[in-house]
This record gives sequence, C-alpha cells and structure tokens, in this order.
Amino acid sequence: MTNLFSFRGAAEAGYAQPAPLDAPFAIPSALQRSELPKWPRVSEPELVRHYTLLSTRSHGIDTGFYPLGSCTMKHNPRLNEVIVQMPGMNDIHPLAPAHHLQGLMSIFHEMQEMLAYCAGMDVVTLQPVAGAQGEFTAMRCIQEYHRERGETQRDKVIVPDSAHGTNPASAVMCGYQIIEIPSLANGRLDLDALRAVVGPDTAAMMITNPSTLGLFEPEITDAAEIVHDAGGQMYYDGANFNAILGKTDPGLMGFDAVHYNLHKTFSQPHGGGGPGSGPIGVKAHLADYLPAPLVDVVEDEEGELWYEWVDPPKSIGKVQQWHGNAGAVVRAWAFYRRYGRDLEKMSEHAVLNANYLRHRILNPSNEVRAAIHAMPKDGAPTDVVKHEFTLDMSPLKDATGVTGKDVAKRLLDFGYMAPTLYFPMIVPECLMLEPTETESKEAMDAFAEDFLAILAEDPEIVKTAPHNTPVKRVDEVWAARNLVLRHPCDD
Amino acid sequence: MVDQLPNLGREAEMLAEMGLSSIDELFADIPEHVRRNEPLDLPEPQTEEEILREARMLLSSNVSTVDRPCFLGAGLYSNHVPAMVPMIATRGEFLTAYTPYQPEVSQGMLQAMWEFQTMVSELVGLPISNVSMYDASTAAAEALTCAVRVHERKATQKSTIHVSELVPPHRMSVIENYTQGAGIEIRLLAHGEDGLLILDDAANAAGSCGVYVEQPNAFGLLDPGIAELKSIIGENTALVVGVQPVSLGIVAPPGDYGADLVVGEGQPFGIGPTAGGPIYGLFACTPAYLRQLPGRIVGQTRDSEGQVAYCLTLSTREQHIRRHRATSNICSNETLIALMGAMHMALLGPEGLRTLSQRNAAASAMTREALLAIDGIEAVHPEGAHFNEFVMRVPGEAADLLEFLDEEWGITGGLDLGEWWPELADQILVCSTDQIGIEEIEDLVEGVSDWLEAVK
Repeated sequence: MTNLFSFRGAAEAGYAQPAPLDAPFAIPSALQRSELPKWPRVSEPELVRHYTLLSTRSHGIDTGFYPLGSCTMKHNPRLNEVIVQMPGMNDIHPLAPAHHLQGLMSIFHEMQEMLAYCAGMDVVTLQPVAGAQGEFTAMRCIQEYHRERGETQRDKVIVPDSAHGTNPASAVMCGYQIIEIPSLANGRLDLDALRAVVGPDTAAMMITNPSTLGLFEPEITDAAEIVHDAGGQMYYDGANFNAILGKTDPGLMGFDAVHYNLHKTFSQPHGGGGPGSGPIGVKAHLADYLPAPLVDVVEDEEGELWYEWVDPPKSIGKVQQWHGNAGAVVRAWAFYRRYGRDLEKMSEHAVLNANYLRHRILNPSNEVRAAIHAMPKDGAPTDVVKHEFTLDMSPLKDATGVTGKDVAKRLLDFGYMAPTLYFPMIVPECLMLEPTETESKEAMDAFAEDFLAILAEDPEIVKTAPHNTPVKRVDEVWAARNLVLRHPCDD
Repeated sequence: MVDQLPNLGREAEMLAEMGLSSIDELFADIPEHVRRNEPLDLPEPQTEEEILREARMLLSSNVSTVDRPCFLGAGLYSNHVPAMVPMIATRGEFLTAYTPYQPEVSQGMLQAMWEFQTMVSELVGLPISNVSMYDASTAAAEALTCAVRVHERKATQKSTIHVSELVPPHRMSVIENYTQGAGIEIRLLAHGEDGLLILDDAANAAGSCGVYVEQPNAFGLLDPGIAELKSIIGENTALVVGVQPVSLGIVAPPGDYGADLVVGEGQPFGIGPTAGGPIYGLFACTPAYLRQLPGRIVGQTRDSEGQVAYCLTLSTREQHIRRHRATSNICSNETLIALMGAMHMALLGPEGLRTLSQRNAAASAMTREALLAIDGIEAVHPEGAHFNEFVMRVPGEAADLLEFLDEEWGITGGLDLGEWWPELADQILVCSTDQIGIEEIEDLVEGVSDWLEAVK
C-alpha cells in the first residue's frame, strides 16, 4: 500500500520556490529550530499518484448511493466548485476594507435575507461554521437574552431523547444543564413529559422537526406554547430542513432561533468531515445578541448599493475569528440561485424519494419483510415520512443473529455507503436512511433489491461482511487499545 | 426549470407505486396551521451559465490580495498553494464523502488524515494531533477548556486560565464565548514596552489550569521568554502556545520548550486567506490531554485478516456517543482543508518548509529595514526579533496612511492596530509573506514617502 513516509527523494523535490530575498534576519538563539520535521521528500508526480490511489479507497456521493440518514448526502453541483476557485474568493482577506469585499458582501446579504425568509426568521448571521457551532451560537444568544432580563435562574435546556448528540453537547458548552425527555412509544414527542419538566428554570428547548425518525411532529406548536408559557425559548435544529423548505417553516411552528446546515440543505460538500457552515436565524427579540458583524446594505445618492459590516448592539462577539466559512456560503448561494423558488421542489423530491425507498423496502409483498420492524412501530398512525426513515432490524437479529451493523457492513460490498447506524438511540438495531432528492428511481430500486437480498442471505456471509472492500472488517477496539496515532518516522 | 433532480417528471409513476396520487399527500402530516400556503417568493431558477456569469461579476469586484502589493496578515497569510493541491483534494471521492464512519470504504481519507496528524505532530513537536478544528480561535478556546478539564483537580487557582493580553480581540472574544459556560475565569498576562511577556508576572499563573500565549505574538515578535514559561508555571499548569505554522521551518517547535498543547491557523498550508473560511485550526497535544481532546482523531489498526487499516478512534469522547458529557460539541470540522494542508506540507518537504520560512522572514526583514529608513517612520519594538510581521509607528493616523496607500497607490498596507486597540491608532502591523518581492517593497516605500510629503 502507498505510504507517504516511504518517499525519500531529494530535498525540495516537491516544488521549487524562488530564493529568499537577500536580507539578514535573526531568530533568537533560544528559539532556533534544531531539527527539521521528518516530513516526506516527494515529487509532484509521486504525490499525485499517492493521493489518487487513496481517493480510490474512499467512498463519496460521486462513487455511489449514500443513504446516510441525518446527513443529507445530496449531489454537489460542480459549478459551485468552479465558482469558489475563481479569483476573488480564496485570495481575499477578511480584514481588508469593506470596499475590497463588496462582491462577497452582496452574496452574504442575499443569503442572510433568503435564509431568514425561508425559515420564517427575522435576522440571520452566517458566522457559525458548522451545525454544532450554530447551536452553540444560538444558545449563547438565548443565554444573554435571559441574563439581560434578569432571569439568570434559567439554567436548564430540554432535549428529546431522539435529538442529535450535538444539541445537548452545545448547550452544556454554554453552561446549561440538560433535561432529556423520553419519546412516546411511537417515536413522537411526549407533551406530558414536556409539561412535567418545564418551569422557571427552563432556558430553552432544542428540537428538530421532522424528528430524527423522519416524522413531522404535529403537536409542535403545542410544545412551543408550553415552553413559551414557562418563559423558555424554542430552538430549531435545522439538520432536517431539507424535508420542509417551502412547505412550512420554524417561524410558523413557533421557534425563536434556528440553525441551517449549508452542508446539508444547500449542498456544501462534506469533504470527508468538513468544512460545513451553520448560519443561524433568530426572531427579532434575539437579533441584538447575534455574533458580530452582520452585513447591511445602504443606497447612496446615486442609487448605488453599498454593503457594510454592522455589529449588533448587544452582540455576544465572535464564535469564529473571521466571517465564517465564506467559501461554503458562496457555494450555497450558487445552489440557491439554481433552484430559486423551486427550492420547494427540492424538498418535495427529497420526501418523495424517502417515501418511495421506504415503500420499496417495506412493501408487504416482500418475503423478507418480517425481518424488519417499521418505525414508528407497525400499526402506528403514520403513512408518510419526511426526508428520512428508520428501520428496526431486531426481528432479523432475533431470528438469525445478524445485527443492524452486519447489514450495514454487507451493504458496503454492493458499492453503497451504509445508512446511519444505531441512531436515533430510541430505535433498537436502528438503520436510518435518507436518499435525498438527487437519487434516481433506478438507483433506489437497485438499492432496495440488494438490501432485501441481504436479509435473505446466509447469515454467516452477512456477519463477516464486508468482503469486497479495500480492507475487511476493521478492528476499532484494537485502534482504541493501542492508540497508534501517527507514523513513527524513526526509520 | 430547475435541473439536478433525476426524478423530475416521474413523480406520478413513483406516487402511483405507493398508492398515492399527489405530492401533497406526502405533506398531509403537516397541520394546516403551520403550512406555508404561498409559493416561495424567490427568483426564478437560474441556469448554470447565468449563475456563473453573475458569480464572476460579483467575485471579480472583490479586491484580491494577489493582484496588488498586500502587506495585510494579522492571522491569515497570502501564500502560493501549489496547483496540484486544489485539483487533487477536490477529487469526488474526497470532496463528496461524509465523516468516515465506515472505515472499510474510507481508508483513503482516514490514511490521509493519519498522515496529516503525523506531519502536524512533527511540525509542532508534540506526539498527538487531531484532524482539525474550525480555525485558530476555536482551537485555542477548546485547548483552554481541555486544559481546565485536565488540571482542575490539582489546580490551586480553580477554573482559572491566564491569557496573553496581546491575543487579538476577535480571538479573545471566541475564547470568552467558549470558556464562560464552564465558569472559567480569564486573567491577562502583561507585556512590557518591548512587546514581550513580563516573566515575573507570568509566575502568577503557576497553579492555574492553563496559560495561553502566541509565538510570534500579535506584534509579530518572537518572544524568547515563552521558552522559559513552562519551568515558571510548572507541571500542573498547561502551557498552550498559538503558532504561525510557517514560522516553524526556522523557529523551534513549542514541544521543544515544554508546550503541552499547540494550536494555530493551518491556513498558510493548503489554502489562501479565503475571507477567513473555510480554513482549519491546528490542535496538537501531549498524551495527558488525549482523553479530553476535542474533535476527530484517526488511529492505525488491523482488519479481520491482519492487514493495516485506519479508523476514527476514541469516539467515546465525542458528542454522538457521549452527548451532554462529550468533551466538545464539534462534529463537522475542516477535514478537506486539512487534506489540502497535508498535500501542501508533503510537497514542501522538510527543506522546502525551511525555505518557505526563510522567504517570509527575509521579506519581512527587508520590508522593515526599508520602511524604517524613511524619516518619520519608527519601529515600535526596535530591539525585537520578528518572523514575518512587525509594527511601525507613523506620524499621524494609521487609518489615514492606509487609505492613502489603498486609493493612490493600489497597495494594501497592513492592519491599523487602532482597530484592535484604540490607543494604537498611530501603529500599523506590516506583514510580508513569501509573496512579497523587492518591487512590492519599493512600491510601499514610495507610497509611504508620498504620504509623508502630503501630510507634512
């Protein structure tokens, strides 16, 4: 296998640089580097091949179907990549005067307005660079809002047990304590459980709708009323916004703050883990606390638009040192311009595809249907899901010993990325699937067929999967016990 | 009409298979009172050609740092990223992958990140690196909360950290936002007239949970005192050092002088200033902090047949497992930009890194000498050693000179330090990276002289 640290070519074999200018400089003797880092010495031809080979050992949306629930793995239009490589993007400095950045600021302003409109919010900041950072930022704004009103006793944040792990983690980083409320047996929000925990110490509730089960919570406005009556704020985790854009919005549902995942809904590529972008939108009463700065627009005497940075009056300050992931915002802008008012169609097709795939898998005529419990539990009053759905594989496990994880690993053999595994935690042996709007009917038909075929396979084949991948099942326990976290570079 | 949707025009067929007749039925579970009933009041869909044209028009109206002499740094640095880097890093298998939760089909990205960890570890002189934070400011902030978790029990100054007063205000604001939730008290470390840490005062930090200093500092000064800091604050207080990574080709890695954690803006390796994002934060540490580390980390392991393989490890620290007891909320990070950084570092190699460092230091030294030769321009820290930035005092308002250079000479002259610290409104932080040559320096000298004539 290719190994970066085996390249031992000539010094500076990689790329030739101009010589340093002829000027003396001095590094204090206590701070002089004595030994250079043991980086490889590798030429461009070798390095291109090294990384190309590595890329062939990675699976992206481009490689095959990627039904990773909650992650909205939609196609990433290549136009957007072309745009962010154009002059005026990678080569601009955020501390340059505003008149150097007018093009970027106009895109920022348009995105602030568009995102606010689509979510039924009043003001948007683009600064948070990930969904989790958006959550953190919004909770900080809510925290300052309560503090200013003298309600410092509000130190609890309520999250349903089906919430993304980032929700409680983000609230804790603000100093909040978490109250987790159980879902009903059908996976729905339990309003009685919510009523039982709200009170004068409630700072906020964090929830996503549709939930991580892909189900729309019909009683969401009741939940909002319960929380608001107790003096708390409602926070909308926008991870599942792809399901509802144009159909409903967090403002209508009674939310005070929301984050958007531009790397989900607006196709910023996930890049193997990032970059993301997690703007937040808030209702007017929270707008003064948003991170600084926002982009505002004024019209001069000649009717020319002029964009300027404006600090909200009671701003929490900064959550990222600069203006957020501007490159992601520009990609999202190009994506939004492509759809325009048809963003609603995007959501329609995301939901159409999820329901279609679910139907193909759960169609009662399938012989292997007994291996799966539909979630919510069979017989629950739900005919449709939103953009994603969960499968409970425990009947299969009970009958054959094949776990959800085994099925996930076997799917890799067929050239698919595995669904999200064992999340949400309230569904036993959970597989969570989200096809997104960019999968074709044929791709989903083929997947459903392969999926069902796996359930009928010899259990031993499934339990020892994968078989056709670059490496066989990886020993994660060995990794955690031995902690080999870098190349030794000592030979 | 919008493109990008493979099932456009086939909705009826798919619905019929499900026994449905309209898309609306798929949204029937949304109660009437929360429905948006009007179509989105947004523009018509645009074609690829139209968007491209408008994007070109908008982005080209931005003033690029490479089309003119640019002496603005202050945390983000003009650089040359080898052509190979964006081309290969954006191969679809890397670009369109999610976090490698399924290692069997993610070996390429996992190995690339393990190699990244190795190169960062070598660069800063500490054994452990994660696969990136959002930026330098969040890396610094989470290094400090990490330090508090590790040292709180033995600390005599409970929940207290000491931070250099020269940390730029934007970064300080991030640190404040990230530490206030844990009730962490921030005390400031004082600097003398020479811009260097006052080591006698730094002794007050002993017994606290951690100290954060930057090398070089916000004035571009290399501070030898930082190399003595660990012996002053002792074993039970974390030394966290923020670095400009390009400097480490000629400047000692903080691991060599006792740093427990090292953070920094990885940006100069892999990507341009990019309006401040996406970039990536470096985060490295000693083993004592490993189990409190934020973010993803890759470990080498074996597959079921004994082949070498890679996977994410120590995930039990993370939010998707540990939820409210996680070490951090970070989930999405900056992996793809870190990959670009890895490619850039590998292409440079050890000697190329040294050359790049020397280019920065030499360009800055030449700029400094040329500017200080001008009658009326003074060094604020005449005795100091610099890497690629230094501070000059001008006879008048820094903002006025910078505006003059911008408008009359087409030069981005640096940062008006009055924007960070109002009392320094006559000072400019001048940065010269490897992208500055003799011509740019001559232009700057002429422009500054021209202004001095004009304001006389």
